[in-house]
Amino acid sequence: MAGSGKTSKPLIKYLSDDQVEETHQRSLGILEETGIQVEHEGGLEALEKAGAKVDHQARRARIPRDLVARCLETVPDRFTLAARNPEKDCPLKPGGRPYSRNGGGADFTIDLETGEFRPLMLADVRSYFKLMDALDGISFIAPVFGQDMPVVGRDILMMREALANTDKPIHLRAFTGETLRHMFEMAAVVAGSKQQLKERPLVSLLEAPISPLRFVDVTVDALWLCGEYGIPLDVCVMPIAGGTGPMTMAGNLQLLNTEFLGGVVISQLAHPGAPLQYAARPMAMEMRTGFSLAGSVELGIMAAAGAQMAHYYNVPVSLHGPWSDSMTHDGQSILERTYMTLMAALAGANVLVGAGMMQQSLVISHEQLVIDSEINQIAFRAVEGFPTDEDRWAVDAIARVGPGGNFVADPHTLQFLRGERYVPSLLCRDSRETWEAGGSSTLVERAREKAVAILHEHEPNPLSDDVSKALNELVSHALESIRG
Amino acid sequence: MDKTQILENLAHAAIEGDEDLARESAEQALSNQIDPLEAVEQGLSKGMAVVGARFESGEAFLPELLMAAGAFDAAMEILQPEIEAQKKEITKLGTVLIGTVKGDVHSIGKNVVATVLGTSGFDVVDIGVDNATLDIIQEAKKAKADVIALSSLMTTTMPAQREVIEVLEEMSLRDKFLVMVGGGPVNQEWADEIGADGYGKSAVQAAEVARRLLGREG
Repeated sequence: MAGSGKTSKPLIKYLSDDQVEETHQRSLGILEETGIQVEHEGGLEALEKAGAKVDHQARRARIPRDLVARCLETVPDRFTLAARNPEKDCPLKPGGRPYSRNGGGADFTIDLETGEFRPLMLADVRSYFKLMDALDGISFIAPVFGQDMPVVGRDILMMREALANTDKPIHLRAFTGETLRHMFEMAAVVAGSKQQLKERPLVSLLEAPISPLRFVDVTVDALWLCGEYGIPLDVCVMPIAGGTGPMTMAGNLQLLNTEFLGGVVISQLAHPGAPLQYAARPMAMEMRTGFSLAGSVELGIMAAAGAQMAHYYNVPVSLHGPWSDSMTHDGQSILERTYMTLMAALAGANVLVGAGMMQQSLVISHEQLVIDSEINQIAFRAVEGFPTDEDRWAVDAIARVGPGGNFVADPHTLQFLRGERYVPSLLCRDSRETWEAGGSSTLVERAREKAVAILHEHEPNPLSDDVSKALNELVSHALESIRG
Repeated sequence: MDKTQILENLAHAAIEGDEDLARESAEQALSNQIDPLEAVEQGLSKGMAVVGARFESGEAFLPELLMAAGAFDAAMEILQPEIEAQKKEITKLGTVLIGTVKGDVHSIGKNVVATVLGTSGFDVVDIGVDNATLDIIQEAKKAKADVIALSSLMTTTMPAQREVIEVLEEMSLRDKFLVMVGGGPVNQEWADEIGADGYGKSAVQAAEVARRLLGREG
């Protein structure tokens, strides 16, 4: 009886193995009979050449089953989001540990000093990057945009700011295929060369087909450009149940899975072996207001089923983690994001997405990021389970202490004192007296204090002068070129 | 079947979003010599008002609002030719040109607003998504629109709403059109900042604001 290893990885499963297989088969049927709309002539031609039935007038491609199967075969089962600082690399593989990133694209912020809701500005972007660089529960960083930044080239300028303020992996958002190419060139400068970038992709990208079943030109460009540069891509499938997807959870999942396979085919046709992540981001429409929900429990259920499909295809999976519909970092926000994050982590997500974001991804706050760093680390801990080597079953210690004793001073306790438990940095576990003496602070107040302290003290790892200079030249050149 | 019953059925058809009942009742209205204008105003529109109120109070869902509009349109297909044949006219509150601005492909919210405006007595010209500023203005002139309604779901495309207003000013056309703005990140503050005439945070409110702007309250 060798006592070894660890507890098995707990996985939430909603679908039986048969249901997973049937979902896959129905997706193949939809791709073959209904097909996808591809608003990209080169994309349609590639699909046609590979055996799809293409209606160029309607820009519709009906994809045969064997083509989907062929494309699925070449999708790698793992890849690494590389960091400027290799200690912060995020290797993603099915069954591996989860990582996390903030939600991208917030347009508003809650002011750290005044608590006022206001537009997000460039100065905030810098402070957010710096804060996230310091937080242990944020593994890599996605763009947030300043409303005072110029619209044309905003994505490029954002990347320049991110590179200056963090040595973690950077997750990009591109507005056009042209700006994306410029950004990959910037990444190549930091990596050393295009080849070195391929070996250690310092950036990754998200692209979303438009539900239902529509791939616009920029999406096809991005899929192919990522393949060319070896940049990991989230095929972000996010039908909104009741809006851009069927009302039923089953139907929304069915559409989501079909769209993922559509993305796989377009990507792998042009660049077999291009790294893809199944970014299952099922949404649901609030049927009174039309808003997209962020914190509804059904999203967690659908996402967990989406993770099962990703596991079936043996590719990394990214799910919404800390997410909420709440307007600010209040109790509702913390409630919603805690169950969303735990469900996603326990469903086997490789990436938990959303830190900092509230109000359907429109607003971000420093306090929420600090709290989410804690929630993420609790979720990391939850999926980790516990080691089960022989010593840890403590049979000898139980014998030593015997009935009626205690374990406080037993050598076994001393041996495993550190490492068995996650020690939270924000949660109060003191006596009332100590809490009162410290100002009777709430969780949110403690998060604010921590954010202020980090912004005051933390110095991000700077780029070398040479790289900085080369980047600045590239950026001005890129901006000139796209602004014509 | 008497007139009261037919009018009630028309209202009921809108409330239930029942297109079959709407068509059937519209036919009955005509075969019973009911004034088609009265069938609209005392039947269908009353039903639509009920659905609108239910929607605003949170009782009805969006799909019910859209299905009510579907029933309304189904009945109108039958009633409209007869109204025209009798050389009568439904009092229109005005013409609204509606579209999503350049760079923005989101359509659902804009479609809902267009539908509600259409069933609230406006002539609606929907020019779809991703419209260049000059195209919007051109289409508004062509449609002789009273109101230009601009939708944007992203902060990156909100500046295009401002651009429409600025270009209207440059072309000395600003006083020819009322401009309304809407969409997820849009709020009253933004509407004020860019000098828009109105903003509605829901489709039903947008219709109310349009009515108010055109001096057609109540």
